[in-house]
Amino acid sequence: MSGKTKTEIAICALVCLAILVVPVFLDDAFLLNKYARYLVLGMLAIALSLSWGYAGILNLGQATTFGLGSYCMAMALKLKTIPVHTGPDGLPDFMVWNNVPELPWFWKPFYSMSFGVAAGIVVPVLFATLLGWFMFRGRVTGVYAAIITLAAMVVVQLVIIDQQAYTGGFNGITDLAQFDVAGFAFDAYGSASYYLVAICLTASLFIALAVTKSKAGLIVQAIRDQEDRVRFFGYDVAFYKMFIFAVSGAIAGLAGMLYTIVMEFASPTFMGVPLSLSVVIWVAVGGRQSLVGAMVGALVVAGMQGALSESETFLDSWTLVMGLLFVLVVLFLPKGIAGALEAIGGRFERKRLATTEQPERKDVESNPRHLESLS
Amino acid sequence: MDILVSQLMTGLSIASILMLVALGLAIIYGVTGVINLAHGEFVMLGAYAAWALQTQFGMGLIASLLPIFIIMAAVGWLVEVLVISRLYDRLLDTILATWGIGVIAQQAVRLAVGGELRYVQMPESLSKSVTILGATDSAYRLFILLVSLALFGLTWGIYRYTNFGLKLRAITQNRSVASSCGINAGRIYRLTFAYGAGIAGLAGALVSPLKSVSPEMGTGYVVDAFMVVVLGGTQSLMGTLASSGILGELSGYLAFYSNDTIAKALVLLAIVVLIRFRPQGLFTARVRT
Repeated sequence: MSGKTKTEIAICALVCLAILVVPVFLDDAFLLNKYARYLVLGMLAIALSLSWGYAGILNLGQATTFGLGSYCMAMALKLKTIPVHTGPDGLPDFMVWNNVPELPWFWKPFYSMSFGVAAGIVVPVLFATLLGWFMFRGRVTGVYAAIITLAAMVVVQLVIIDQQAYTGGFNGITDLAQFDVAGFAFDAYGSASYYLVAICLTASLFIALAVTKSKAGLIVQAIRDQEDRVRFFGYDVAFYKMFIFAVSGAIAGLAGMLYTIVMEFASPTFMGVPLSLSVVIWVAVGGRQSLVGAMVGALVVAGMQGALSESETFLDSWTLVMGLLFVLVVLFLPKGIAGALEAIGGRFERKRLATTEQPERKDVESNPRHLESLS
Repeated sequence: MDILVSQLMTGLSIASILMLVALGLAIIYGVTGVINLAHGEFVMLGAYAAWALQTQFGMGLIASLLPIFIIMAAVGWLVEVLVISRLYDRLLDTILATWGIGVIAQQAVRLAVGGELRYVQMPESLSKSVTILGATDSAYRLFILLVSLALFGLTWGIYRYTNFGLKLRAITQNRSVASSCGINAGRIYRLTFAYGAGIAGLAGALVSPLKSVSPEMGTGYVVDAFMVVVLGGTQSLMGTLASSGILGELSGYLAFYSNDTIAKALVLLAIVVLIRFRPQGLFTARVRT
């Protein structure tokens, strides 16, 4: 294991530890709920960083997989409320309003919570794999991949809004039961929910890290830098891209499920253009080629956005400032804050090596990572 | 027969608006390769300019078209100088930067004139309806159709017959060779961007009487315009014309048989499939890369 990897793991562990101890010092249900929400968004950023930063696929529809996970969880939680809240035949309220005679077949398996949880991962993964298969087998890259992911998301969202009788339409699925495991209920405003999210976030971060360090992860990064060369070596480029897309979809799906648990509803806005583009901003600001950078970027930007939009004075001007900030980051910090920090660290490293006159100096100078162009 | 003609006219009407909005985007993307997500905001700013000129200075819509074109071209020029000109060697990042510019523009408008809906008066002389082959259509929609065709003709003329157009085509073919022949590529890109932004402003002004004007109106337009450009093939003006026609008619007919939402989803799906199998678009100019 190289020194760089060790530092990276140490930084990730420190950040996760900091996140996990928050409830020890904080005893405010409202704030805990809000922070749990930001952590979920951090997971979404990790998912995008995998496909965009590591594989070079700008997914403008990352919110699709997030939304699918969210809806799966909401469907399962909705069916748990049935005997209490709704009509005679155990139908969700919006189906009663839309004169649906009986529960549609694809709702029935969601009576089982384990099915719901599994579906929240499997459905987004299937979607991502299918979309990836469709795009990457046809060698769709760059801008066109970005447009396809965007268009596919709008299609899914339009269909969900249109099929009001089965999906709750514009309103989404509201009035949900609490998520529970073996009788222990996760109150959205309790510290248990916060821990649930924080642990899932930690797990996702380290799984994603392991993926990027694995052989497949290295091939994916090679594809990002020189796709044709990797193809000439005989690797199945499309397969590796699909793989990274699926992992990214799984993490986003898990994040979507957690979002439903802490927000207590699912809405078509969870798979909308604004959310998708916001994720892109967070990841770009934090640093797309650093998982922990992207995650922290999401926490900081979404957190600041939340804090400032609640104060009356900054309500309007904040968006303006954010737009400006974003343009400046794109112009002057193409690798985000994490990339800038790494560059500063690299300079110190070089100086140190230069003074001790080590032979590795040449390697550092010609390290292709410093020269790598944007795909 | 009446239904058929009126369907055709509805489609043409959608198509002409698509064409207006997409033309500027197509020019900018085709020539410079910049993916301008702020295009919708340029359209929105044009609509606000029309509103401001009408309510503050009492100018009619038609009289204000030329000033709006000039104002928006200046805005485009400024954006190119400040931001875009630094990003020509990393084009995928223009998606991000221009999206940020869009956010700034939206919020600036909201701060300056408020977020409520605004309305622009239709020119008096065009507010009647006209009957064609038994189907009635509003005169203003026909006017838009004519203007969009005229703008297309003008753009095509510039591209085809002027010295500027010649340089433009040279750069599109091969930037470095064109540069070494003494063509100032930076200046041409700048003018192209300004022209595209000006056209977007005109599109905004022209659609403003048909729809209410709001800071968010651009978002919908930019997605539609993208689809037109992708369908048409990115370097072909004729492709833009044809694909806006196809998309307009298709949306019109599908909306007639199902509903607007499903029509939109089907059109998007068709485009996704098209990109997969023909990423160069339906109509392609022959370009050496």
